[in-house]
Amino acid sequence: MSWLLGGGSSTKQQEPVKEQTFAFDPSEATNVSSFLTPQALDVSKLHPLAGLNQNLEYLTLEDETPAVNTGILPIKDWTDDLCYGTGIVYLSGLGIGGAYGLAEGLRKTADSKSARLRLNGVLNAVTRRGPFLGNSAGVIALVYNLVNSSIDYFRGEHDSYNSIAAGAISGALFKATKGPKAMAISSGLVSVAAGVWCAVKKSVF
Amino acid sequence: MAEAGDHSRDPCPIVILNDFGATFAMGVIGGTIWHGIKGFRNSPIGERRAGALSAIKVRAPTIGGNFGVWGGLFSTFDCAVKGVRRTEDPFNAIIAGFFTGGSLALRGGWKQTRNGAITCACVLAVFEGVGIAMQRWMAYGQKPMAPQLPEAPQPLAA
Repeated sequence: MSWLLGGGSSTKQQEPVKEQTFAFDPSEATNVSSFLTPQALDVSKLHPLAGLNQNLEYLTLEDETPAVNTGILPIKDWTDDLCYGTGIVYLSGLGIGGAYGLAEGLRKTADSKSARLRLNGVLNAVTRRGPFLGNSAGVIALVYNLVNSSIDYFRGEHDSYNSIAAGAISGALFKATKGPKAMAISSGLVSVAAGVWCAVKKSVF
Repeated sequence: MAEAGDHSRDPCPIVILNDFGATFAMGVIGGTIWHGIKGFRNSPIGERRAGALSAIKVRAPTIGGNFGVWGGLFSTFDCAVKGVRRTEDPFNAIIAGFFTGGSLALRGGWKQTRNGAITCACVLAVFEGVGIAMQRWMAYGQKPMAPQLPEAPQPLAA
């Protein structure tokens, strides 16, 4: 806890810095091995502050790419795009649906006598509306992000047309079993939403 | 052990969104495979494709939602526990699992809440134990080595 509250550093006396000199006398050096001894290359003698002889924790940084965009979200690659996009859409769907369910439950149970029954009714309404909207929106967002990343990868370009096309495809896929008319409506709605999101993203961030 | 923490994850409040999305996606994709096969096998011959499709449409989003709520709650509690304890060790995940299991079983009454919390904490403890064992096992062969110096080098004049 000393790192948090301070103190504790006075108890540990600093060791005096040992001067390490590599006095090299050319007359003694007959061959390479006379000065290239393992003692001269001891890591603990390099610098006393480095603490190289103590327990070091090594970080493997080779598979960690830095965040490319400078927005709020630390998005590094397409999996981050997928996770953040799906998570945000799912959570907002859950919240909006839950709020709608809360209002509906409060309205329907307004004439209820028992507080316990009313609480149960409201909770039932919230858990019926919230997850339904959240799941549907989350699935659309998941398919949208997958399609968008695929289009990005195959075209090699990252622009708003990709997003609109991905929205059209994911919307059509969402209503794929309801016939062509429902597919067209849903496709149009999702692609408009994707276009609006792209415009907002361009103007705000 | 992990004094510097896990560097492959994003900083705390924002990682909750990532975990929501990741667990939801896991649930949807896993549920698609699971209920696709189940719907295919349980349908009469001739309607197997349609049966698989309708089973996926009805059940995969629900499974995704259940996974997502679990993962998001767990991540939220994990961040809260980290903020309160100011340490990063396996007990964070166990405590977060305790709260997650408890809050998911909250509507079943006191007994259900207690049992769910304890079960979830035990499951997370097993996960963390297996994770630490895997980490030790992976790190075993990767210790940094000092370069070998020749004991008696050959004389320069050959």
